[in-house]
Amino acid sequence: MNVVLEGIGLVKRFGPAVALGGVGLAVRGGEAVAIMGPSGSGKSTLLHCLAGIMKPDEGEVRLLDRRIDTMGERERSALRRTRFGFVFQFGQLLPELPADENVALPLMLGDVSRADAVRRAREWFAPLGLAGMEERRPGELSGGQAQRVAIARALVTRPAVIFADEPTGALDQATGQETMRLLVEATKHNGASLVVVTHDPEVARWCDRVVEVRDGRVLPDPRGTAPAVATVPAAPAAAGPGGWDRETGAGR
Amino acid sequence: MGNLIGLAWRLLRGGGRRGLLGAGLTAAAVAISTALLLFTVAVNFAFQGRADREAWRNPVAAADGAVAVESVRTDHVRGQRITVVNLTALKPGVPAPPGLTRFPAPGEVWFSPALAELAGSLPAGQLADRFPGRRAGTVEEGTLVHPGELLVVRGQTPDSPELTVRAPGYADRDRGVGPVRISSFAGRHTDEAVGYQILGVVASVLMVVPLLVFGGAAARLTVARRDQRLAALRLVGATPGQVVTMTVAEAVITAFCGALLGLVLYGVCSPLLTGIEVAGGSWFLADLWPGAPAVAGVLVAVPLLVGLSAVAGLRRVVVSPLGVARRETPPAMRFIRVVALLAALATVPVVGGMGAGVGIFALSLGLAFGAVNLAGPWVVGRIGRIVARTARGPARLLAGRRLIDDPRSAWRTVSGVAMIGFIAGFIGLLVPDSGLFGSPDAAVLRVSAPPARLSEVAGQARERLSAAGVPATVRMTGGSEGKLKVVAVTPRAHDAATLDRARTALTGLVPGGVATTAADDQRASNRMLGDIRTGVVAVLAVCFLVAIASAGITAASSVLDRRQTYALLRLAGTPLSVLNAARRSETLIPLTVMGGGTIAAGMFCALPFVYAALNTTGLTVLLTCVVLGFAGVVGAGAASAPLLRSVTADPAPRPD
Ligand SMILES: Nc1ncnc2c1ncn2[C@@H]1O[C@H](COP(=O)(O)OP(=O)(O)OP(=O)(O)O)[C@@H](O)[C@H]1O
Ligand SMILES: [Mg+2]
Repeated sequence: MNVVLEGIGLVKRFGPAVALGGVGLAVRGGEAVAIMGPSGSGKSTLLHCLAGIMKPDEGEVRLLDRRIDTMGERERSALRRTRFGFVFQFGQLLPELPADENVALPLMLGDVSRADAVRRAREWFAPLGLAGMEERRPGELSGGQAQRVAIARALVTRPAVIFADEPTGALDQATGQETMRLLVEATKHNGASLVVVTHDPEVARWCDRVVEVRDGRVLPDPRGTAPAVATVPAAPAAAGPGGWDRETGAGR
Repeated sequence: MGNLIGLAWRLLRGGGRRGLLGAGLTAAAVAISTALLLFTVAVNFAFQGRADREAWRNPVAAADGAVAVESVRTDHVRGQRITVVNLTALKPGVPAPPGLTRFPAPGEVWFSPALAELAGSLPAGQLADRFPGRRAGTVEEGTLVHPGELLVVRGQTPDSPELTVRAPGYADRDRGVGPVRISSFAGRHTDEAVGYQILGVVASVLMVVPLLVFGGAAARLTVARRDQRLAALRLVGATPGQVVTMTVAEAVITAFCGALLGLVLYGVCSPLLTGIEVAGGSWFLADLWPGAPAVAGVLVAVPLLVGLSAVAGLRRVVVSPLGVARRETPPAMRFIRVVALLAALATVPVVGGMGAGVGIFALSLGLAFGAVNLAGPWVVGRIGRIVARTARGPARLLAGRRLIDDPRSAWRTVSGVAMIGFIAGFIGLLVPDSGLFGSPDAAVLRVSAPPARLSEVAGQARERLSAAGVPATVRMTGGSEGKLKVVAVTPRAHDAATLDRARTALTGLVPGGVATTAADDQRASNRMLGDIRTGVVAVLAVCFLVAIASAGITAASSVLDRRQTYALLRLAGTPLSVLNAARRSETLIPLTVMGGGTIAAGMFCALPFVYAALNTTGLTVLLTCVVLGFAGVVGAGAASAPLLRSVTADPAPRPD
């Protein structure tokens, strides 16, 4: 598969502290990459640089053939809205919006009419095991359910890359793994790539590849550079989530 | 207990930069609120002080034991009022009147400093000649009604016509009192002074409510920022009592610091405030000092109220530890709130029908305010439902859902300004039009005379005027006051100097009588109308300042409260403009509906007190308020846009 997102020689300093000391990372289309490493090693910083949230001090970030690190804030913001999806540890859902409207929000920001956006958002609920929760508010959902709503929200715009920073960090082991499996499967089914920061090796197992970060540098991958699961077929971009069933597993 | 307060203090100090910012905002809000509250209280003391200082010139007849005779006249110079007090002692050893070092002996005149200066600067034929006699001293400035007041105290012999003849046509205090046999200089408050005191009370009532709302909003601000942490404390097992103690301690400490700051602020500003002219003069600095007990009262009451408001805001946390930690759909606001509003509004005409006393007035205003405040959140919730249902774009949807989610906090943002709608509607109907009395004649001097002596007085007037070299026509006309006849004098030249020369020439023409123009006679009532308009502007200005400040503070605190959500939305590419548009709709939509509603409610409540239809002055007041209200709220919201930008610029938002 071709490279969708690539960071080359990324350096990021906070004052005298070096958070990233020349990191390179290429993400292929449909690939799931886990970023692991001890606390403070620079995982989140790397993710933020790749996602156009932060500007690296040195190096470049390319999405397909466009450089995104040199774009202005407005352009990067539009890019994040349309080409990327985000899942954070918690708190990204708006507490006053019902679940379906939380999912529909990115579509509405992209000028999709409200009725259309909500209809498309609701299509994600059953495959993610959220049937019947459309009108609940985030406060009325369990942590795992809320994360699944967040996954639906990240995917609803059919982005090229999903970024997740410890998406299961606030969940227990079993729920975390289940959520992770859904995240990877749903992402792959939609032909998007996934970059996920995690502490949990079990969670990382769901990914094609693990990148180890230590003190702002990437360690050589012990499993080799070839993806472990290289043959996941990407669904056609136009396909809705309906053709995919979580019980049988990501339409494989 | 001591432990808990210590912990509260540490929480307050350890809240980090944002925590301190929140505490600082609260303290600043309380400071402004306290300063304005002190001003509101001081205004009443100030009018009281003026009334007290003026009372001795409104003598009360002694039943027995009279020691002196007093009469008071009102003369005019250059469009200003001069108060002339004539005194004579009936026995030796009568105490000195206020501001004089001793009782004036016959033939003495005592000028107030301003009158002395004016008499020195104008030619004697225009002013000084009216008060012949030996200048025995100066009336002490501090005992005058206001700085720069024109007052002359004249010592007379007991048989002087000023103290023996009851001048014709002196129906009201405006033109003179007496002569009256008095036993002391106690006197009583003049009707004019009482009128101003009532206006002061009304203004205070109108201002106190928004000020209290403001203080309450500030208290909620501390609580809103803390409730997350307190819910966590509840979860680990703190008792409700402990949680309440800690929060209240924190709010009260902050509020007390704010109140002290407000006292300083008021102290710094009061020299400027003395320049505000009411009833023809500015104020002494001492007038605006409400006295130690009142100041202490305010300094105690404000933190107390803030504490109470904090307790009310905490009820949810205390009742259920999960109430805040987990956000659920709040129970729908009960319709009973609106029933309460309608009931309160229905009683206003009844209450108003009972008379127009200050107490009644304050009671009906308080009722209406309370009811509007009660119904506000319910209406905001309803509006939210409509907005959320009909929203097409994301900003509207966000705004509508937020209104449903927390109508109370949305109401707090706009309640101040909406309450001004109430005041504006109320005042809009009550404010007198500027042209109420037309423009009275200022060219003809008139002096009343007994009918039998009419032609004699007219002849004397002609002689005196020609002796003074003032060409004028003198006519005899029927007066409007009973059977009295009036001698009307029209100087050929219409300038102020000629008029004052004519006044001087006519002084003492009729014993106890003063020649005045129609404009002179209406000066006091016109001035009162002007002062009412000034007061309206001042009250509305203060209310707007408070309401807009509280809208700004609430907007800022809501950004701080929701910073994590906002930051994550922005990371996911939501444009700031959408977030700002949502915040704008969140305030403007309820403001439009509630502002319209409160203006209508205010007008309704004013109906029992109205004697005229809505006039242009009232309409101007109303429209200005509407424009200012919207501009102010939009501006207050926009002021926190940089705050939103900065809290969402943090690429790694943490829960706190
Ligand atoms: N805004 C900032 N200002 C200063 N230093 C920062 C900032 N953000 C990150 N750092 C520093 O950069 C380094 C890398 O931080 P980063 O958040 O990327 O670590 P991480 O690997 O995500 O850690 P964790 O697993 O604990 O989330 C750390 O040493 C951190 O202290
Ligand atoms: Mg991290």
